[in-house]
Amino acid sequence: MSAPNPYLDDLSKGIIKENPVFRMLLGMCPVLGVTGYFINGLGMGLAATAVLIASNVVIAALKNFIPPQVRIPCFIVVIATFVTIIEMVLQAFQPVLYEALGVFVPLIVVNCVILGRAEAFASKKPVLRALVDGVGVGLGFTLALGILALVREVAGQGTIMGPDPESAILLFGQGFQPMGLFGQPPGAFIALGLLLGLTNVIFKKFNI
Amino acid sequence: MREVMRLSIPLAVVAIVSAALLTGVHNVTEPVIREREQQEYLEALERFFPALDDFETEEINGDQFDLVYDQDGEKLGVMAAVQTQGYEGTITYNLAVDAEAEIIGILVVSHSETPGIGDVITTDNFQEQFIGKSFEDPLEAGEDVDTVSGATISTEAMIGSIRRTVTTIGENFLGKERQAFGLEDLTDGVYRGSVEGTYGDLVVEVEFRDGRIQAIEVIEQNETEAYFMEVYPEIPEKIIEEQELAVDVQSGATLSAERIVAAVRNALEGAPEGEGGDN
Repeated sequence: MSAPNPYLDDLSKGIIKENPVFRMLLGMCPVLGVTGYFINGLGMGLAATAVLIASNVVIAALKNFIPPQVRIPCFIVVIATFVTIIEMVLQAFQPVLYEALGVFVPLIVVNCVILGRAEAFASKKPVLRALVDGVGVGLGFTLALGILALVREVAGQGTIMGPDPESAILLFGQGFQPMGLFGQPPGAFIALGLLLGLTNVIFKKFNI
Repeated sequence: MREVMRLSIPLAVVAIVSAALLTGVHNVTEPVIREREQQEYLEALERFFPALDDFETEEINGDQFDLVYDQDGEKLGVMAAVQTQGYEGTITYNLAVDAEAEIIGILVVSHSETPGIGDVITTDNFQEQFIGKSFEDPLEAGEDVDTVSGATISTEAMIGSIRRTVTTIGENFLGKERQAFGLEDLTDGVYRGSVEGTYGDLVVEVEFRDGRIQAIEVIEQNETEAYFMEVYPEIPEKIIEEQELAVDVQSGATLSAERIVAAVRNALEGAPEGEGGDN
């Protein structure tokens, strides 16, 4: 059953069919880097989503103004601008999240999900569709980061909603010794690999 | 020419608009960020010095020191905002000492040590061992404070930096003085001493004759090559020249320099192994 509405299609394909993490394997650097805690993964996903939506809209709006020969530098400037804005806003109003995400916030500039959508979609489509596409892909990215971070936090720390001790919920009681490996970068690869296998099985089963 | 303009003008416009936008956002967020940082620092000050009434800021070697006074103008202590090189980047922390140069609090403000390993420096377990230690204590890894195995470099960096900071505070603001090492009572001979380094022992032989340190030789060392080259033979030469152990160890390789000094101290504290020869 295919949706006749192009907007609905744009929205859903970013989340499932063309999920940037599970299907396209784009933007792996933050995916592996910040998913030690659910909150951080979610924060990173939302920050990237905000940049993606903003850059998609602006690039779609400017597509007739920007000559094709210089489009990549223009895209990069637009993306970098939004990333820097997000960075400053986070630093000012969400300092804890800003500290936790660290270098990965400025690195959103080179997240290929964002430049990829700008190049492949936003620069060829009308503003409204670019907006919907940004929302869809952003949600897909956030969802993937959230799932991966949840798996890693539960396995690697034995908590959810950490690392802040006030909000952290100890799932297995005080004496639980978590698998520290999953908290470390190598654990991110392993968890991602397992999740990719799982999503492939699910996708195949439902013929997506 | 026309083509160049056609391409560069849109790019320039995009860049200029972006710059303008960023300036605007920066102007809005900058004061908020600054104010929050100051707020956090003040809160830390008040936590460590509940009787705080006034403070005065001084700067030494790029680190900030706040002299804290109570209502009657009595000096309560000093809080330092210090930066030091950790394993993966700069560690910024606040160190509070009371008027007797005794450590009352440590607060790591920011760091980029390995999560789960080097970040033990932020834990109470690691920090508590410093509380109550003072200017008079050696504050030396393995002596009165411990490194955390697996995170030796991070914890050793903190220990070294805390020791230097306490020394700086004690000497500059609290009128303390390090007791000079007494060379007068030593008997002639060759002394051997060692200290534990990050990767193994550092062993020195010190020749003492006619009331002077004549020669210092490093017999064994496992320091990082590049660091060791920066302090050897410079530090031994300094000790011989000044005839004292309290030489300036500020360099790109402070830990190695300190280890040489500590090994010489360790040597001279023991008994001579043999008569000093001429070689």
